[in-house]
Amino acid sequence: MTAPLTAVPPGVVLLAVAVLVALLPRRTGHALGIAASAVTLVWVWTIPAGAYLQTQFLGFEAVLFNVDQFSRLMGIIFALIGVVAVLYSYASEAESLQTAFALSYVATSFGAVFAGDWLTLIFCWELMAVTSTLLVWHYRGKAVRAGYRYAIFHGIGGTLLMAAILQTYEAKSTFLFASVPGGPEVAGIAAGLPAALAAIGIGVNVGFIGLHTWLPDTYPRPHIAASVFLCVFTTKTGVYGMYRAFPEGHLAIAYMGGGMAVFGATFALFQNDMRRLLSYHIQSQVGYMIAGVGIGGALAQSGAFAHVFNHILYKGLLFMTAGVVVYRTGEENLKKLGGLAREMPITAGAFTVAALSIAGFPGFNGFVSKGIIISASHYAFGAGPLPIGEYHTLEWLLLLGGIGTFMSFIKFGYYAFFHGTHDGSVADANTGQSVAMLAVAGLCVFYGIAVPTFPLASILPANVGLFGLLPFDVTSDAVVAHVYKTYTVGHIVEGVVLAAAGLIGFRLTKKPLSKLGRVPDIDAIYNRVVFYGGRSVIVGVTELYAAVDRAVMGAIARAKAVGTDPQATVQRLGFGSDEQPPILRSGIGRSVFVLLAVVSLAVAILLLG
Amino acid sequence: MSDALLPLLIAIPLLAAVFPLLLGLRFDSAGWPVAMATSLLVAALAVRFTWAVSPASSGPQRLVHDLAGYPAPYGIELVGDGLSAILVLLISVVAVAVLIYARTTGPDSNAFYSGFLLLTGGLLGMALTGDLFNLFVFLEIVGLVSYALIASSDDGRAAYGALKYLFLGTTGASLYLIGVGYAFVATGTLNMRDMASELAALGYGDPLVQAAFGFILVGFMLKIAIFPLHTWQPDAYTYAPDTVSAFISALVSTTAAYALIRIAYDVFTVDFFAANPLITDAVLLVASVSIVVGSLLALLQTELKRIFAYSSVAQFGMILAAIGLQSETALFGAVIHLVGHGLMKATLFMGAGVLSSAYGAQTVADYAGLAKRAPITSGMMAVAGLALVGIPPSVGTLGKWFIALGAVEAGSWGVAAVIFISTLLTLTYIGRLLEALYFTQPATDDDTGVAGDTGDATDDGSIVADGGADSSTAAGLDDVVPVATERVVVVVVLALSTVALFGAAGLFAELLDPVFGRFFQ
Repeated sequence: MTAPLTAVPPGVVLLAVAVLVALLPRRTGHALGIAASAVTLVWVWTIPAGAYLQTQFLGFEAVLFNVDQFSRLMGIIFALIGVVAVLYSYASEAESLQTAFALSYVATSFGAVFAGDWLTLIFCWELMAVTSTLLVWHYRGKAVRAGYRYAIFHGIGGTLLMAAILQTYEAKSTFLFASVPGGPEVAGIAAGLPAALAAIGIGVNVGFIGLHTWLPDTYPRPHIAASVFLCVFTTKTGVYGMYRAFPEGHLAIAYMGGGMAVFGATFALFQNDMRRLLSYHIQSQVGYMIAGVGIGGALAQSGAFAHVFNHILYKGLLFMTAGVVVYRTGEENLKKLGGLAREMPITAGAFTVAALSIAGFPGFNGFVSKGIIISASHYAFGAGPLPIGEYHTLEWLLLLGGIGTFMSFIKFGYYAFFHGTHDGSVADANTGQSVAMLAVAGLCVFYGIAVPTFPLASILPANVGLFGLLPFDVTSDAVVAHVYKTYTVGHIVEGVVLAAAGLIGFRLTKKPLSKLGRVPDIDAIYNRVVFYGGRSVIVGVTELYAAVDRAVMGAIARAKAVGTDPQATVQRLGFGSDEQPPILRSGIGRSVFVLLAVVSLAVAILLLG
Repeated sequence: MSDALLPLLIAIPLLAAVFPLLLGLRFDSAGWPVAMATSLLVAALAVRFTWAVSPASSGPQRLVHDLAGYPAPYGIELVGDGLSAILVLLISVVAVAVLIYARTTGPDSNAFYSGFLLLTGGLLGMALTGDLFNLFVFLEIVGLVSYALIASSDDGRAAYGALKYLFLGTTGASLYLIGVGYAFVATGTLNMRDMASELAALGYGDPLVQAAFGFILVGFMLKIAIFPLHTWQPDAYTYAPDTVSAFISALVSTTAAYALIRIAYDVFTVDFFAANPLITDAVLLVASVSIVVGSLLALLQTELKRIFAYSSVAQFGMILAAIGLQSETALFGAVIHLVGHGLMKATLFMGAGVLSSAYGAQTVADYAGLAKRAPITSGMMAVAGLALVGIPPSVGTLGKWFIALGAVEAGSWGVAAVIFISTLLTLTYIGRLLEALYFTQPATDDDTGVAGDTGDATDDGSIVADGGADSSTAAGLDDVVPVATERVVVVVVLALSTVALFGAAGLFAELLDPVFGRFFQ
């Protein structure tokens, strides 16, 4: 019955579709892309859990199509956003080839999340880096150099992960995940050095602080539709990979997540380029997910994956709205925009929904999933080194990140849509873009209210919401120690307080922020170090080569001098004199002596040896 | 019946050696026809003999003949198998080639042809004997005749070279005899086959056996001219007449190396090496040093024949290394390289002789621009030189390849590296020669431009002995002595044979497989 569904992994199908999209006319190609994504959505939704396509890959046991609650959730949301993003690409005049690259990127992401072993995962992981780099490069111009830096970052990250995977293979002698048949007893990456390498390698993908600079560097540069794809797949596959590598969580990773939430939100606040601001928010939001994975356990992991799901929706929506603004005005900078709410009501409305979702305002999907993670940081995680009152360390870090998120989206909305008036008239999003945006906006609201504790939840059929998709049932006390209830007075108050704090914070910091120039990030150091380091390496190599060249040529000249007149050379070394030049050719006597010496030596070696 | 070939192969040249002198009493130039007829007969017998021992014929692949009907181990035995057949064939072919070459260049005396036939007989005897003392006798015949032939040049330095060779060669042969004496004391036999079984019974750790091998090894190392026992060889090769240089360089050391292979693997066997690992290491070390130092010394020389002489030191180092490796592959390469080296060196010495007779060229500097004036000879020397480097397709490639392969198989990376280095060094000194021939302008070549064109049009091959006497052709070419066509033809044929033998690995394998099967059982 399910055999046709498991004959090939979805990634392969999508890859074939990507090739077709490149070859077909633009309209047909995009229609095919949308249809293929939609079919994939139904496909991964209906396929029963299990490990399919157990085979040999590069001579090792491999599972090419592994379906469990985690990979299914990833597959559903990837396919869902795929449908919308291809539609948006079509409406935003993306070239067929770009959409083809984007679909190949989607396809490799599917390959990664449905991999049942580390080898297949890293293979698709590296392919994702390639296809996404191509997607960035396709826009040319400034995107090329940014794409180059992106490729270097991901090359290094992928290599570290590969090292970790190989060492894990060394320890477990299989690449398979623990959950598939024939897998090892202990899941995840082997402890110790491999774990550290894997954390850093995956950390590049999810944007650990210090390893995140490629995010704001790359994502603002390519085509607006390419950004919608980019913001979804790489970092979220990273979160998924982090869960596979650390299924039990890890203290340091949890705190790194908290740090990312605050750091990303803070740096986002300093940005005036719309897509750059959004890119820092990817880091901040992924911070929440990483915190969830780091905490470990059913509640936190459910929160993390719920947040992956919701985040993809509202972050895709945010990039779409920002893209529409760029598409219509040709302007990236918030300072040069304003008053667009009147001109582009649909875009402004979609933005508002997305902003409230990402900030975690009650009634929107971000509120649900962020709440689970914060709840887990309180109930399923230690108080940490710096608790404030009854707020655990990680908890207040995440809450602080929430305030920063409110502040920066108030800033975004204020400057783009509500502040001042726009000169001249600007058309709103076109039909395709509007359909894409409104569909996602609707989903953001839907997943915000389709939760068990929502007052109107009783009129919805059970399990239609997000909770039905999550790997663990967080509403059952049989599964989690502390049952999560979304809409409690405490939670709603918390959400509103954060919003108010964000509003006040923005009011206070608006002036200094508006005077702030470009705030340097760590990549200012990286780029300089790499540039000057690279230059000194090149100069060093050149000089070394010159020195070797001089030495070799000198040696040859000396050898030639010795060769042409060995007698004079020997004389220079102090043998013989001008009257009695040294005799180099051995005469009869010396030859016989040498002969006898050799025979004595030979006999001595034989007899004594 | 075919075992009668063995004594015939040795006896015919030895007996025929009397006739040049005897007939010389009556006819002035009796030597060459006698020597030529004998050599052709020997060559025919050699082909017949090779056919008899080759797997292609149905006969036994190992021929044995008891001299005078006294059976071994008391009588002297002649033995012919695939390995000796290759040597016999090489000796007889090179002998015919050298004789053709010698017709016009001499040394034009009947005594020379007597010596030539004696030397041929001695070499064949070394290749075919199955008796250790008999081998010494032939070794001495070869040695003494070589000394005489080298001294047959008018040059005083040749006399000194011959004398040096005489002293060292005699000492070397004596060392061999001492070794055989020890072995005789230990086993009471001189027959190779017999001694092999006696030695195995006695044990290879016996000091007497070990000392015997040491003396024999060093004695042959001198005869083969391995560094540092090579000192006789450059003088001898350089100052001997061109014909003699070609003959001796191609065959004498080669046959000595064959004898060492025969004694090391047929008498002492691989088990001896296995029981005495230190001597293996020492052999490999000496061989490696010989390869590198010989090549370096060749690089330092200015005289062509000296370069080729030192090159032989390096090339035989390679063969000694192959002997020390105890690898079937390497030994296979060594035998191919023995043949290849003989042919290549014969080509090079004869080519140098042609250019020396025609243009008086002795040093690398003299060779500047000669390729224009003597394109055929220069081209053939280039072919043989590149074959010596090991550039495919040539017999030099085969030999080097199998020796290097054997070294790698045996895990002797050091030897493999040395062979690689020696290839580079060989390329350097052959490169010097090629550079001079093809890419250097002759030092004095101002007013001979028009006459040079005449030379080009007719090239050196056509300046035949009588045609060259036509003064109108040779007048413009300053100090050009006409050269007989057949000398150039011999050089061409030999050079092409070094290329053609590239395809002969299968034939070598067919002849050698039964022999090596016995060596490495």
